Amino acid sequence: MLSRHRSFHWLDAVLLALLFGAAGFVAYRITVHLNYTWNWSVLPQFLFRYDRETDRWVANYLIQGLLTTVRLTLWGSVLALILGLCMALARTSRSLYWRLVARTYIELMRNLPPLVIVFLFYFFLADQLMPLLHLDTLATRVSPFWKQWLPLVLAPPEQLSAFCSALLTLAVFESAYVAEILRAGIESIGRPQRDAATALGLTHSQSLRHIILPQAVRRVLPPLAGQGISLIKDSAIVSVISIQELTYQGTQLMASTYLTIEVWLTIAALYFLLTFPCSLAVDRLDRRLNRKR
Amino acid sequence: MELNKQSINRDEVIIVAEHLVKTFPGPVLALDDFSIRVKRGEVLVVIGPSGSGKSTLLRCLNGLEAIDSGTIVIDAIPLDHHESNRLAIRREVGMVFQSFNLFPHLSVLENINLAQCLVRKKSKPEATRTTRELLAKVGLGEKIDSYPDELSGGQQQRVAIARALALRPKVMLFDEATSALDPEMIGEVLEVMRTLAEEGMTMVVVTHEMGFAREVSDRVVLMEAGRLVEEGATEQFFLQPVQERTREFLRQIL
Ligand SMILES: Nc1ncnc2c1ncn2[C@@H]1O[C@H](COP(=O)(O)OP(=O)(O)OP(=O)(O)O)[C@@H](O)[C@H]1O
Ligand SMILES: [Mg+2]
Repeated sequence: MLSRHRSFHWLDAVLLALLFGAAGFVAYRITVHLNYTWNWSVLPQFLFRYDRETDRWVANYLIQGLLTTVRLTLWGSVLALILGLCMALARTSRSLYWRLVARTYIELMRNLPPLVIVFLFYFFLADQLMPLLHLDTLATRVSPFWKQWLPLVLAPPEQLSAFCSALLTLAVFESAYVAEILRAGIESIGRPQRDAATALGLTHSQSLRHIILPQAVRRVLPPLAGQGISLIKDSAIVSVISIQELTYQGTQLMASTYLTIEVWLTIAALYFLLTFPCSLAVDRLDRRLNRKR
Repeated sequence: MELNKQSINRDEVIIVAEHLVKTFPGPVLALDDFSIRVKRGEVLVVIGPSGSGKSTLLRCLNGLEAIDSGTIVIDAIPLDHHESNRLAIRREVGMVFQSFNLFPHLSVLENINLAQCLVRKKSKPEATRTTRELLAKVGLGEKIDSYPDELSGGQQQRVAIARALALRPKVMLFDEATSALDPEMIGEVLEVMRTLAEEGMTMVVVTHEMGFAREVSDRVVLMEAGRLVEEGATEQFFLQPVQERTREFLRQIL
């Protein structure tokens, strides 16, 4: 491996100077030439607002959107993990049939633009599948306990059907990437480990569960976690089907306030607040695992 | 002990392998109409030049490789297309690999407990008792909570032997168990194998350790290109080999 040297070269200085120059130029253009009146003062109220009725501060559009993004990501990750695991197992199965099924699924999902998948799935799911589940009527008949928790855990009853469609859509295309990561992990566990398990009399599924998968997952934990972070960003895509997550709330707010730059800078900051700690955590995990092995 | 009872009846054949043919894509004829019988309690050493099919023979005996044709019967269980028979044979046959193949994510205890619990359906305390006993036997009682990468090669191989013994197999297969070891660690592994042989375990041993072979084995087989060149009782094999090829091979390695 290359050693990382930390000494400061004169070329570095030139590069830094260029960088600062460019930044200064952009700042100059914005302040002097961009005909834009900044108005940051109205933005905080879109994060939190004071509710007179309950006498409390409550989340407003942007924070609500952020929470929806978090919910989408969490549930989407869980679903994608389950679906992805099934696909990875099928992809590495001994049966040609299952390998073909998984391969078709994965290649389709990875070679279509996500936006197209979102539209295709959304209109199919929302039109054909969701009514079959009777989610709407289910949502109106839930017990008081769930009435209180449902909006926190999933979505308010009136948005439940749309939310679930979006969730499935995200899980479906994300699971293709998860499947490929897991497959690489499974295939990285060599023949000797399988042989040892087989020679001990373990069945195929026992050796998968106790020998192959634990080692495979440990090996691909960092890229898997990275994929989870991707999902935070990718979830923005369901704004096109009016799921009220962070990006959708941004477009709405922009349309009503015309504070384009302020709104999107705020949105960017919120996404970053979400993803950056996760990235740091993955980095640490990565280093921990590397040190152990 | 169970093993001593078996060794009483030494004439009973436990492994019958007849007309084995195995080809690999290439095509390589790894086993070419190979037949062998092993008696209960017998120690059979298999030698031969590299690529002669020794590993393939062992791997076919416990079904790690499927044979193209021929029959294998071990302890009256036929190794056929029935998965249940394959599993049954693997319960009766332990295997030790050249590269140890311990499970790196499991501790020594878990490595040895695993098959006992999953295959023999033992409870965990019961399995652990057997594991302690076996570790004491291979001289590694204090390493029970270590992980494979914390052990030396010789220690790993002894754990691997204990792991294979945990199912109380009737036959043990050793595929060059000491070839991957530093010279100073070979002795400790051979010692464990010698003890096993003395206890009456049926063993098929692929090895380059001729001293060990002469001292411990009952019978020796020389393979070349998937065929049997010569087979004979150990003393006779080394002192009065019949085939010219055997004499040449022995000259090279002794
Ligand atoms: N999985 C495989 N795929 C293709 N060819 C194989 C495979 N395993 C073994 N062979 C071939 O079969 C022949 C016999 O191999 P085998 O490993 O049984 O020899 P060996 O006697 O154990 O040799 P060594 O002393 O080097 O271990 C060789 O020509 C080898 O290249
Ligand atoms: Mg070999």
